[in-house]
Amino acid sequence: MTVKWLMHFQPNQGTTLTSQVMAEACAVAESFPGVSRDGRWRSSMTFYRAVPRDQSLPAPSDLPRDLIGISLHDLPNEYLFVMRSQRLILRAHSSVQTVMDKLQSYKGRFFINFEGLQYKWGDFKLRIGKCLYNPNEALRGIVMEVEYLPLSSIDKSQRVMEEFYEIWREAVASKLLAGQFINTEVNFVEYGLGDSYTPQHTAVLYGMCVVQVIASSNKNQ
Amino acid sequence: MEPQQQAGSGDAPPKQVAQAMDRLGRAARLIAEIRLGADRILEALLVSNENPRLSEKAAELTLGEEDAMRRHFLDLRTVGKQLEDSGVLSGALRSRGNSWGLHMPLVCPDGAVVAYAWKRQLAGQAGASAVDRARLALKAFSDQKRRIFPQLEDDQLNRSNNDTIKFPPTKRPRLSHRPTQSPNIDSTEQKPMLADILKSIQTEAPGVTISTYQRLEWSKRAESLASTMNDSSLEQPKEQILSNLSASFNEVAVIELVASGVFRVLVSLHPAGSTDPDAVAFFSPNEGGSYLHSRGMSVHHVFKHVTEYADKALQYFQSSDPNKALSHLLSWICSHQSLFTKNCSKCSKLLAMDKSLALLLPPVHRPYLLNSKDHDQDFATAYHIGCSSYDV
Repeated sequence: MTVKWLMHFQPNQGTTLTSQVMAEACAVAESFPGVSRDGRWRSSMTFYRAVPRDQSLPAPSDLPRDLIGISLHDLPNEYLFVMRSQRLILRAHSSVQTVMDKLQSYKGRFFINFEGLQYKWGDFKLRIGKCLYNPNEALRGIVMEVEYLPLSSIDKSQRVMEEFYEIWREAVASKLLAGQFINTEVNFVEYGLGDSYTPQHTAVLYGMCVVQVIASSNKNQ
Repeated sequence: MEPQQQAGSGDAPPKQVAQAMDRLGRAARLIAEIRLGADRILEALLVSNENPRLSEKAAELTLGEEDAMRRHFLDLRTVGKQLEDSGVLSGALRSRGNSWGLHMPLVCPDGAVVAYAWKRQLAGQAGASAVDRARLALKAFSDQKRRIFPQLEDDQLNRSNNDTIKFPPTKRPRLSHRPTQSPNIDSTEQKPMLADILKSIQTEAPGVTISTYQRLEWSKRAESLASTMNDSSLEQPKEQILSNLSASFNEVAVIELVASGVFRVLVSLHPAGSTDPDAVAFFSPNEGGSYLHSRGMSVHHVFKHVTEYADKALQYFQSSDPNKALSHLLSWICSHQSLFTKNCSKCSKLLAMDKSLALLLPPVHRPYLLNSKDHDQDFATAYHIGCSSYDV
């Protein structure tokens, strides 16, 4: 799998996030020469909470109370689970969602959809999307995924991605957007993940990023 | 050469295919002319050697031939460029055939021309044609050698027949025989052995894993790489097939250099078992498939540009120091371990926007000029395409 970075948009203090910002971010991407639009993308995330079998007994402490389930746009046949407290990631077939529904051991509390536009720029792929809170489709944030196709090693691609991030931030600042993109920093080693990039890395990135998006949107409201 | 219209993308695929076939035919004729020219020059040299009285006439003939050859080479280069632009020479662009069920004619690594890509599906056809072609070529060269150099021993001829099949020359025809030397001189006295070269490169660049393969072995490995890449549920095993150094260096045709996480480079040797590099190509370590060979092209822009530059470096090494061309080439390749970490020596940045290509690229040009003393050759500088000075 090729290396990805995930950023979210941090609006300036006192401003609110609107769809206009999404359009402006896409315009920044399209302003680079050689960028071509490459369709749309869609991922979704579900926050599960454990449903205790027997209400009177305390929940066993080794079972996670919260679970994040992620369906990624580039892996339609798979479903990933992230347990942030235990730092565990599970990769399963997408039909596990039906199993979850039937078992009812965990119930989906709320849902987030990511959807937006995809761009190809030489060896880079950019995905800019809205972070929408289901079911009322409220805009919670804007995320951007950057993928560098030639490399799969996180270590070896670090400098390339850093420089790209700088170029992107400068472009965003020069177009006077009301905020900036912040990169999601994750210590993959804590999750037991190695240097070779995998979908598990993406799942962890999204898990962390969404937490930051929700925190910043709560702060601004 | 008569002016040729470019088959633009607006032309119907049959016309593009017909033009490509036509150009391939022309290229084949030019190559034949070049071979004939080389033949004539050899004869002229021999004649003037035996008969000093005729040496003046021979000299005139040689000069005339040289002019003709130069013209042919220029024409060949133009045709080659046209073919390259139309996507004929690169297997990775096979999808160019956009409609009508037609695909651009494909020039296979063994030299066979396939007019329609689907023909490759016919089992054994490409392989069988390559074997036939090679056999015919070997026979033609043996005949030619017997005719022009009758003083060479017959057992020399038999020895070369038993080697791995020598494919027809590809990039440039070279004089592979030196009539003035005794045929029994071992090549080891002139050039270093392949094993020694590889060992010294391995000590010079410990971060690079070097493996050697026979031609068929490599084809199988390239295919197997495609399937391991697709199975992304497994962590990639580090250093697959470590240092597969062929037991017999006589048959090594492909050298693979892998810098973990950075590149996979393929260098082909021609003839097999020699220390003469023939072609070089850079790929991403996560690429796999049958297009992974020394004349193939990566799907990624960064590696495409490095490969193009590597071609120039290879030609430079071959012409300036042919005995050590392989050593220089391998050292130069190993310097690319810092491809994604070393800043440009001119603008001090890693990524730069190349305006003409509309791409963000790291510095992909590493100067290859050799110093007069060949110690301390470290190929340490790197430049973006736009930052590198002309001709470096």
